[in-house]
Amino acid sequence: MRFTVHSLLQRLCFAAVAGLIAATAAQAKPDPHGAPDKFVLDAANEALSALKADGQLRSGDLARVNQAVDTYILPYVNFRKTTQLAAGRFWRQATPEQQTALADAFRGTLIRTYSGALTGVTQDTTIKLLPFRGDPNADDVVVRSLITQANGQPVGVDYRLEKDPQQGWRIYDMNVEGIWLIQNYRNQFAQQINQSGIDGLIKALNQRNQ
Amino acid sequence: MNMPTTARFASALAVCALTAGCAAPGNPDPRDPWEGFNRGVYKFNDTVDRALFKPVAQAYTYVTPQPVRSCVHNVFSNVGDLWAAANSFLQGRGHDFVNTLGRFLFNTTMGVGGCFDVASANGARKIPNDFGTTLGVWGFGQGPYLVLPFFGASSVRDGVGLIGDWQGGIVTYTSPGAVENIRWRNSLWGLDLVDTRASLLDTTDMVDRVALDPYSFVRDAYLQRRAAMVRGTATGDDSLPDYSDDADDAAAPAPGPAPAQPAAPAPKP
Repeated sequence: MRFTVHSLLQRLCFAAVAGLIAATAAQAKPDPHGAPDKFVLDAANEALSALKADGQLRSGDLARVNQAVDTYILPYVNFRKTTQLAAGRFWRQATPEQQTALADAFRGTLIRTYSGALTGVTQDTTIKLLPFRGDPNADDVVVRSLITQANGQPVGVDYRLEKDPQQGWRIYDMNVEGIWLIQNYRNQFAQQINQSGIDGLIKALNQRNQ
Repeated sequence: MNMPTTARFASALAVCALTAGCAAPGNPDPRDPWEGFNRGVYKFNDTVDRALFKPVAQAYTYVTPQPVRSCVHNVFSNVGDLWAAANSFLQGRGHDFVNTLGRFLFNTTMGVGGCFDVASANGARKIPNDFGTTLGVWGFGQGPYLVLPFFGASSVRDGVGLIGDWQGGIVTYTSPGAVENIRWRNSLWGLDLVDTRASLLDTTDMVDRVALDPYSFVRDAYLQRRAAMVRGTATGDDSLPDYSDDADDAAAPAPGPAPAQPAAPAPKP
């Protein structure tokens, strides 16, 4: 069973690339005020084409990845909310400075996860939306997609988006083959905070980011 | 598992039971009441993996060309599809059953005995399935989380499911266990193991890199994934995790050890 989990995580690793990157788009300017599924698809396709065009990015050059994340992903993802939910009730105990530091540290961790997996993207990688279920007028929706690779199994990736009155749709959680990102970090965050407080958690995350 | 391994495992457990290695941690999870024990086994598995399985898998990856590895992987996966299809049938998921059976027939013929996964290339996605999931669909709860020696992450239900998978693999002639010739059987098992481990090299590296605590990272991923498999494809909004924090009991636990609290919502049925 251990292996089963790991093979999932492996796909998580790959899908994360296509996934978070999928949350992006420079040229097409996906419309965050439009339909959520179209927003995700536009963003994903633009990001994929950017990624395919940039060999340096695919090889996982960290500086380059950071830059790409800032331009392509950040505007469409609510990292702060992701971090807030992962920290759960501890978030409110943190000072505003701690909150910002924590969000930055967590972002670094996630980027490192994905940069390692960028090599999985090839010219044949495509993303396809699955039929949208649920209420498109809701403020909190899930968009489901399937990412296909040249050799290997397609990976199901779901995005959870929240509608912000000003900024429109923004992604804050992601599901790869049944595993939600935030849920998978909640226990680890709580554990670390119980051990060494919020500063300890920030430190631990940053240590891994070195 | 030969005797010396068993003995070493037993002594590792004994050592763990006598030392802080098994001490229950400060952040108990209701789904993992045996965390102290589980962490001991996890550590044991990890040690064995780093000393033995991982290096062997790395060597295998180094000496074998990619097409050969991919063929080996696909053949095992293709044969395994039969048992997965049987489970879809047992779960009453007729659509999955027909799909997986079709995959098997297509890959076995057009894919040259499963060497090429032509079904996936044509859009027929692999539907993983096993007996633990079947038990879940039949209404058995996950039970406490359990880390098995060598097998890794599991639960009481899925541990029972593994026994079913073992028997099922033999009955349907889809596991190396069905081979009569002992030398052949052991070789196939070895190859199966090495193939599985090799396909996970990137993943385990990733877990080492990103997890704050690999033990709970793997546990939470496992439990989430298993719950999703039991739910099947028919997921609705009701299966979404609820992140609303249960902290109206805002007794702020300062840096010290916090009171027991479920940090993550239990997977919903």
